[in-house]
Amino acid sequence: MITLADIQQHHEFDNFELLAQQIVEGFITGLHRSPFHGFSVEFAEHRLYNSGESTKHIDWKLFAKTDKLFVKRYEEETNLRCRIVIDTSSSMLFPFGNSSIYNKLGFSLYSAAALIYLLRKQRDAVGLSLFNNGVYVHTDAKLSATHAHMLYKQLYTTLQESYSSESFKQNTSLAQSLHQIAETTHTRSLIIIFSDFFENTNYEDVFAALQHCKYNKHEVLVFHVTEPNHEEQFAFENRPLKITDMETGEIIKIQPETVRNTFKANVESIVQSIAHMCTQYQIDYIKADINQGFSHVLLNYLIKRNKLM
Amino acid sequence: MAVEITEANYNEVVAQSDKLVMIDFWAEWCGPCRMVAPIVAELATEYEGKAVIGKCDVDENSEIAVKFSIRNIPTLLFVKNGEVVDKLVGAVPKAKIVEKLDAYL
Repeated sequence: MITLADIQQHHEFDNFELLAQQIVEGFITGLHRSPFHGFSVEFAEHRLYNSGESTKHIDWKLFAKTDKLFVKRYEEETNLRCRIVIDTSSSMLFPFGNSSIYNKLGFSLYSAAALIYLLRKQRDAVGLSLFNNGVYVHTDAKLSATHAHMLYKQLYTTLQESYSSESFKQNTSLAQSLHQIAETTHTRSLIIIFSDFFENTNYEDVFAALQHCKYNKHEVLVFHVTEPNHEEQFAFENRPLKITDMETGEIIKIQPETVRNTFKANVESIVQSIAHMCTQYQIDYIKADINQGFSHVLLNYLIKRNKLM
Repeated sequence: MAVEITEANYNEVVAQSDKLVMIDFWAEWCGPCRMVAPIVAELATEYEGKAVIGKCDVDENSEIAVKFSIRNIPTLLFVKNGEVVDKLVGAVPKAKIVEKLDAYL
């Protein structure tokens, strides 16, 4: 199973597609199936040839052997349209350290790359949206290889840009961005959201935006990207600390032990309300721990897709 | 093993059966039929006593194929009290067949 830590060793390696391929094939091998089985259009049945019909699909080898005229029929190609939505606000750069990959954004971008690879294997059209305080990348959903290359390049650029100082103090307008995406995405798409749900506005607005997506007949899959050790358990050293809000730059001085319990309780109640709201609107809510591998993300996507078929 | 359904034993195995009968219409030269065959063999063991799982070669038993207007193979036909209650056309996953079988048992 490939994790973010494995990719970190190859971070100078800019080929997102190849890394995505490694993640997906590693994951699929883990399922004990052949990585290439079942993804292409499959020959499903023979049907009697009707005179007057196009001869294009006649099974000529069979005709040569048996004098029978049969037409080959293939499984229908699926036409799932998928939109991957990634929150690139500054809070996604946590945990901030020496590595530019080992953070929530890195995890989301590599998960997205793996999903794009998987979607293309399944012949599904895929589009990408990136947002922080507004949607700034919004591509069409397409199937072509050129389009996929463009998406990988976009993911790579986003990762590169996250080094720069400009990537700080980018706050989140999750609700507003989701409203915009819900409107501009082709109806009945599958929308996959990667966000840490650190939102400036009221959570009610986010819920309304997710409801908007459902109202426009989109299927929604939410990956709540977290780094649980610090963001949920507040496992900081017990000494006076200066904590900086990555989005606003605000600094507070605290002694972790004194606020730990309140912090944990508050985070838990927020997470619960998000999960509860998602259940209410039939949105699949999955917590994605960046310390775990990508297989969790891929597996949940496959489960969701299975439900849609 | 699935019962071989032929023109000779059709009445006895299918028409007069009081159980649910599933017939797999296949032919030796058809690739997708060969994909379904192992599933049908498994189901024959799993549903032994509960349902009759049979297979019918359309080349040798064309009368039966004509009787049920089989134009596509593989086709799985579900027959109850001599009447067709459902059918599945094409190579389908085992879960889908099981779902149908359970629905009509």
